[in-house]
Amino acid sequence: MSEIELRNVTRRFDSGIEALGNVSVSFASGSMTFLTGHSGAGKSTLLKILLRLDVPTRGQVLVGGVDISRLAEKYIPLFRQNIGVVFQDHHLLDGRTVFENVALPLRLVGMSERDIERRVRAALSRVSLLAKERQFPPVLSTGEQQRVGIARAVVNRPKILLADEPTGNLDPELSKDIMDLFEQFKQVGTTVIIASHDRELINTMGIPIVELEQGHLLGAGI
Amino acid sequence: MIANRPIGKSLNKGPWPSPVSITIGGFIRVHYRVAKESFFYVSSHLGTSLLVWLLIGIALGLPAGLYLLERNLGAMSEDWQGKPGISLYFELSASDEAIEAVAQRLRQDVRVRAVSLVSSARALEEFKAYSGLADALAVIEYNPLPNSMRAVLADGLEPLQLELLSVSLTDLPGVQEVVVEKTWLERVTAITELISRLGFMLAVLFGVAAILVTSTSVRLAIESRLDELKVLKLVGATSAYMRRPFLYFGLSYGMGGGVIGAMLVSINISLVEEPLAEFLGSYGGSLNIIGLDYLFVAGMLGIGGFLGIVGALMASRQRLADLQVD
Ligand SMILES: Nc1ncnc2c1ncn2[C@@H]1O[C@H](COP(=O)(O)OP(=O)(O)O)[C@@H](O)[C@H]1O
Ligand SMILES: [Mg+2]
Repeated sequence: MSEIELRNVTRRFDSGIEALGNVSVSFASGSMTFLTGHSGAGKSTLLKILLRLDVPTRGQVLVGGVDISRLAEKYIPLFRQNIGVVFQDHHLLDGRTVFENVALPLRLVGMSERDIERRVRAALSRVSLLAKERQFPPVLSTGEQQRVGIARAVVNRPKILLADEPTGNLDPELSKDIMDLFEQFKQVGTTVIIASHDRELINTMGIPIVELEQGHLLGAGI
Repeated sequence: MIANRPIGKSLNKGPWPSPVSITIGGFIRVHYRVAKESFFYVSSHLGTSLLVWLLIGIALGLPAGLYLLERNLGAMSEDWQGKPGISLYFELSASDEAIEAVAQRLRQDVRVRAVSLVSSARALEEFKAYSGLADALAVIEYNPLPNSMRAVLADGLEPLQLELLSVSLTDLPGVQEVVVEKTWLERVTAITELISRLGFMLAVLFGVAAILVTSTSVRLAIESRLDELKVLKLVGATSAYMRRPFLYFGLSYGMGGGVIGAMLVSINISLVEEPLAEFLGSYGGSLNIIGLDYLFVAGMLGIGGFLGIVGALMASRQRLADLQVD
């Protein structure tokens, strides 16, 4: 259900730029992988394709054996509900409390208020922010905001967790904390893919790496 | 590991479960919450909302008012058709015998129900009493008014039959003029027709205007919530879910407009009631506005709500379809 495989994926934009060129790579179920490469290498494009925000020009994107690039429009929301996603600029709603931000993915499936509370509190305590559930994102520190974003990403208990530069705005120490969090989700069987160009951070983690350079796969390793 | 099978069309849908199963309770919860949020949105932007309501109210009120007018005129002319009549005016020189002969002729006609004679003397009395010109008339030494006769006709006479009868009477000796009391009936019918067409045209035009007003307001509401919509899209909201609050906006704008429209119509009717009664009274009609009832208000709410939803759909379909997330 949560294995991911890209087969000969090419993404060429109308501008002529080829963000991904014939990329074939797979991510095992329950694995944690760094997707790395310089800025402009195509990391974000790959993640967008995995979230079905974008579709490849050529090739197949298999998630749980299903080619999501050919997924019928009406199944896309359901597909996304099964994927957690974390961004560098966390996309939190400033006008809503931490609690409401995290509750968002649950609200849209009509979960009961009791279950929502239970799940949101569980997610917030995982990121050690239970005490701040009534506060609004702008008063939180950058690290805390990112953790709220992570809580929202995992509140649905997704099998796949995608993160695009999740530590981009954080100092090394906070970055390490965030990475430890991702590690915890990997422990419970979630497939985690983290896009980052932060080599220093990556080197300290000792987890598999997939490296892109100008849209092409450089190689995989530790 | 990953099965190395070819991907066919049959795999066009995902094997992914919904994180929670959608139940009727969940469905109601989603709607209830969205309705509540829309209510707060509308009431927290009360200035804008009032303006939108007023605009839609005017757009709906005008054709609705014309519709009521048409219905009432129609009812009045139907009333009229129940008791058509003919008035005959005699030459001043007509002899009593000639007048009696005409009366006789009318009484025998099956199309005539009753005949009553108004003598010139009585006509003068009445004229003096009602016109207030008694003094002026006193100067004239003879009675300038003719003898006249009014015939009440059988129900359901066609206008053509009425016309034939009047022609046959004109030729009788001593008869000066025959007036068929349908002239104003014809006018009312013509006016009703005019109002009906005008109302239809205005209803179409203003209906479109109401849709445009809601779709513009809904578009503004969408723009002010783009951040939220992007996040919703990311976490897997369906387009129906994202559209829903805006459909509620459209509904509340349209229904609010319907209420305002109904209010405007009834205010206007109460303003014209007195002069209208006077106008109709001079033709012997009575003022009893029909159609301004609960059904009318319900109709205004329904039409307003419908147009509002159409406007909201127009605005949200397109805007949400090309919502870019990065
Ligand atoms: N929507 C787009 N239209 C055109 N070019 C794009 C678009 N998105 C990304 N690109 C280009 O594709 C390349 C890869 O971008 P991206 O995937 O964001 O790289 P990364 O995340 O590794 O920095 C870049 O050259 C970028 O300019
Ligand atoms: Mg990027």
